[in-house]
Amino acid sequence: MDDLTYEATGETVGEAKWAALRELERRFPGLDRTGVAFQVLTEGERGLMGIGREPARVVATLGERPSGAGEQSDSPSPRPSAPRRSEAPRRAVAAPSTPQSDTAEATAVRDLVVSIASGLGLEAAVHVAESDTELTATLSGEDLGLVIGKHGKTIDALQYLVNAILTRGDDGKHVVIDAQNYRRRREQALHETATRAASDAVRLGRPVSLEPMTSVERKIVHLFLKGQGDVETSSDGREPYRFIVVAPAGASTE
Amino acid sequence: MSDAVVLPNDPRSLCEFLVRRLVDEPDAVSVTQEAGDGGPVLRIAVAADDRGKVIGRQGRVVRALRTVVRAGGARSNERVTLEIVE
Repeated sequence: MDDLTYEATGETVGEAKWAALRELERRFPGLDRTGVAFQVLTEGERGLMGIGREPARVVATLGERPSGAGEQSDSPSPRPSAPRRSEAPRRAVAAPSTPQSDTAEATAVRDLVVSIASGLGLEAAVHVAESDTELTATLSGEDLGLVIGKHGKTIDALQYLVNAILTRGDDGKHVVIDAQNYRRRREQALHETATRAASDAVRLGRPVSLEPMTSVERKIVHLFLKGQGDVETSSDGREPYRFIVVAPAGASTE
Repeated sequence: MSDAVVLPNDPRSLCEFLVRRLVDEPDAVSVTQEAGDGGPVLRIAVAADDRGKVIGRQGRVVRALRTVVRAGGARSNERVTLEIVE
């Protein structure tokens, strides 16, 4: 493999792309990111409860060797359309992306999230991945605990606002905001909670209530436990404190 | 490539940016900052027809707005309060 090509792994395709890009930028400071092509070898397997997990693998190839090494990147700098009042210099970095797959929707999502990140004082890059039903914007950078917040409160609020702004009534694709693999970690934690509640419900022979969750999180738990014949799930309480009740199958008192 | 607006890192600018994107009449939006007892207070004024968009069903939008704007103020340990003015 020559030095214009680098294979990297990551928990998601986006992370693998970033790892590869960082390595290429280390080799060629100031390279033109738009000249980097990505080939996804495998999207990776999430596995179940940590078993059978496979990292995503991506090969990044730089189209041509940069002429002047150490040259400043000529990628267009974000236009400051609002007066800059902050003392500390900050950058809003648009993420690398395979240009062909960049739809208007993906660009709109990235621009919006990049702006919000800048307003939060974060040096974060934003990568947008698109599927048939969803757009996932992943932030990478330093200090992202702030954007996730306690129990994911901030990242969920951010996601809600981005969807409120971009869908504006018409049914566009749902936007998911992620950072530091929060969504996957949260999903795994929910699966573990659900498994524990199900075994408790069966063992104790009575319903077990979970902590309040957002509708998206409740759906993850409902779907996860649906395949298990020995328990039934329902929701109780009012938003935003609505919670799931896991009951032994057939013992439902409703 | 990217046309992303770069915002100054202060809660008022972030709040104004988000509110403008939520409403039908962005030109009618103004967000002013005042010093309150418990930290800065942001007063949000929007066109009458846009109030529902900023508040949202059961207040969900304004609650999300508050959470995000507060995250921006969290570094300076300021507790930002949002108010929607009539």
